[in-house]
Amino acid sequence: MTGMPAIRLTDVRKNFGATEIIRGVSVDVAGGERHAIIGPNGAGKTTLFNLISGRFPITAGSIELRGQRIDTLPPQRINRLGLSRSFQITSIFPRLTVFENLRCALLWSQGYRYSFWHLLPRQRTLNEATEALLQDLNLAERHDLPAGLLSYAEQRALEIGMTVAGGANVILLDEPTAGMSHSETEYAVALIRRVTEGKTLLMVEHDMRVVFDLADTITVLVYGRVIASGPPSTIRADRAVQEAYLGAMAA
Amino acid sequence: MRKRSAIVCFTLLAAAILLPWLFYDFAHHRPAGFVISMLSQMGMMIILALSYNMLLGQAGLFSLCHATFFGFGGYATIHFLNAAGAGDLPVPMELMPLLAGLSGLGLAIVFGAMATKQRATAFAMITLGIGELVATAALMFHHFFGGEGGVNTDRMIDRSLFGLSYASGTQVYYLIVGWTFIATLLMWLQTMTPLGRMANACRDNFERAQFMGYDPRIVRFLQFCLAGFFAGIGGGLYAITYEIVTFDAVAAPLSANALLMAYIGGNMVFAGPILGAVLITLLQSGVSLMSNSWLIYVGVLFIAMVTFAPAGLTGIIVAHGPIWRAGRISQLILPYLRLLVPGIAAVTGFVGMVELLSFLTIGAAAGKQLVLFGSPIDVNSASPWVVAIVLLVVGSVWLRFEARYFARVWESVGGDAEVQA
Repeated sequence: MTGMPAIRLTDVRKNFGATEIIRGVSVDVAGGERHAIIGPNGAGKTTLFNLISGRFPITAGSIELRGQRIDTLPPQRINRLGLSRSFQITSIFPRLTVFENLRCALLWSQGYRYSFWHLLPRQRTLNEATEALLQDLNLAERHDLPAGLLSYAEQRALEIGMTVAGGANVILLDEPTAGMSHSETEYAVALIRRVTEGKTLLMVEHDMRVVFDLADTITVLVYGRVIASGPPSTIRADRAVQEAYLGAMAA
Repeated sequence: MRKRSAIVCFTLLAAAILLPWLFYDFAHHRPAGFVISMLSQMGMMIILALSYNMLLGQAGLFSLCHATFFGFGGYATIHFLNAAGAGDLPVPMELMPLLAGLSGLGLAIVFGAMATKQRATAFAMITLGIGELVATAALMFHHFFGGEGGVNTDRMIDRSLFGLSYASGTQVYYLIVGWTFIATLLMWLQTMTPLGRMANACRDNFERAQFMGYDPRIVRFLQFCLAGFFAGIGGGLYAITYEIVTFDAVAAPLSANALLMAYIGGNMVFAGPILGAVLITLLQSGVSLMSNSWLIYVGVLFIAMVTFAPAGLTGIIVAHGPIWRAGRISQLILPYLRLLVPGIAAVTGFVGMVELLSFLTIGAAAGKQLVLFGSPIDVNSASPWVVAIVLLVVGSVWLRFEARYFARVWESVGGDAEVQA
């Protein structure tokens, strides 16, 4: 937890037209920690993810990944620097098979770039890595099924798999357990813990059990501002947080 | 799976090699000119349709200017052949299509850089503009395009790897078979490369591809360039076959044809456009001899496919796979026969109407007698019109009822509802 933070946001602002969605957010995510962002609906959590991952440009402020400014880079450049994200609404390749989905996620990190001279069926290392990941995600039986036909929970698992496949060191997960049953959530949490071992994890999550179970640090976002940030115990005890957000839930 | 594809592939190749000899006139020692020219046309159209599907089916890019690269490859080849004939270009005939491909590639790099900046509708609009731009240029810039008359050449450049003169259509046909095979093989292999797969991925969800390190624009651009390369090869074969290339080779109707072939054959299966190209060429050469209205039939076929079977002919075939494997295909025979009867009635009625109408405007003026389905018909009496209308209306209504029955059986045997709907 020492040295340069994995992600540093400094006074980040984002306006959509005249509407301020993010109003000066400064957060440090230390390398190797599991950091959760919580907050009521409309607080700007997903927007913040979209800013960090390069989906939208920021209006003001700066975002650094291990000391390097990334707020002007397109998503693919940020990804190549070692930051990968998942989406709140499942974002996979529905017409490709489960295997192909994962293999695509591995391609760039394995150095294939835009090659049209390698034949994929012949790439042993790549295919073995894909198979291993498939096993790890418990999706081996779904190998040749078009990903669009997977069950919801399986699609979420695939999405997490695709997010971590490229070996990025900083992982952003946007509500990975949203819409899951209790047992599915438990499985997903175990999976997240396993695949993000030794990596920096930044996640948006609504399920407080998941948050307090997984996170080392919690940041509370309300109306585009950070009202508290710290270890779970501090957040739980924080008056402002309780009033603004947790109060209603804890009751 | 791949083994089966290979078997199909080599069967087709063998058929392509042997077909001209099935129609050979041994009594007069004359090759079947019509069959050879039709098969030659098929080869070029297969390349055009497959290369178009690198965009439509594989990358989800709806291009409206694919003939631009086909035609440009053709124009360039005419000039290459002229240069070779004059002794200025030491390239054998067998490699001319490669030069044509490189010409198509060159143009695709230029226009691809513009068009692939966008995707979806904006991309389609840009390609529409490019197509019109080049078609206009073909009429304006005579040095390269030759204006309305086009440019022509003599293909006997006397330079061949195998000592062939290419004086006969048969020799040219085998050159086409060879290049169609090579181009098809390469395009098939391309679908298994990282670029080919990422083109699928960007088609499905370009944003996700971005967050995996890929720039969708570069994927689109490279895919576009490769499609232009293969289209150029097709155009080169066109130039060699006809020894003349005119405005038609770059004009919008040919681009539309590429779309038609890929769509009717099915753009979700690699071989779909091949089937589409074969079918459309057959219609073009066969039906066009029988009827002036053949374009209307192609148009109606296209609309029917888009409406009822958006996955195309190969999509229909693929949808029968699970039923076949479950051993329940025999249960579909009766429903199909029941579809066939009203289907034939409706089609006959429709053809009758179209032919009667077109005869009124074209044929009658020429003082000819209309012959429909083998019998002479008096267009001025009421009975053929009544018969045609009754067949069309009754057949269509009846077909609707049978279609419902078919859909019920289809679902009961475990058919995929989505494909059929």
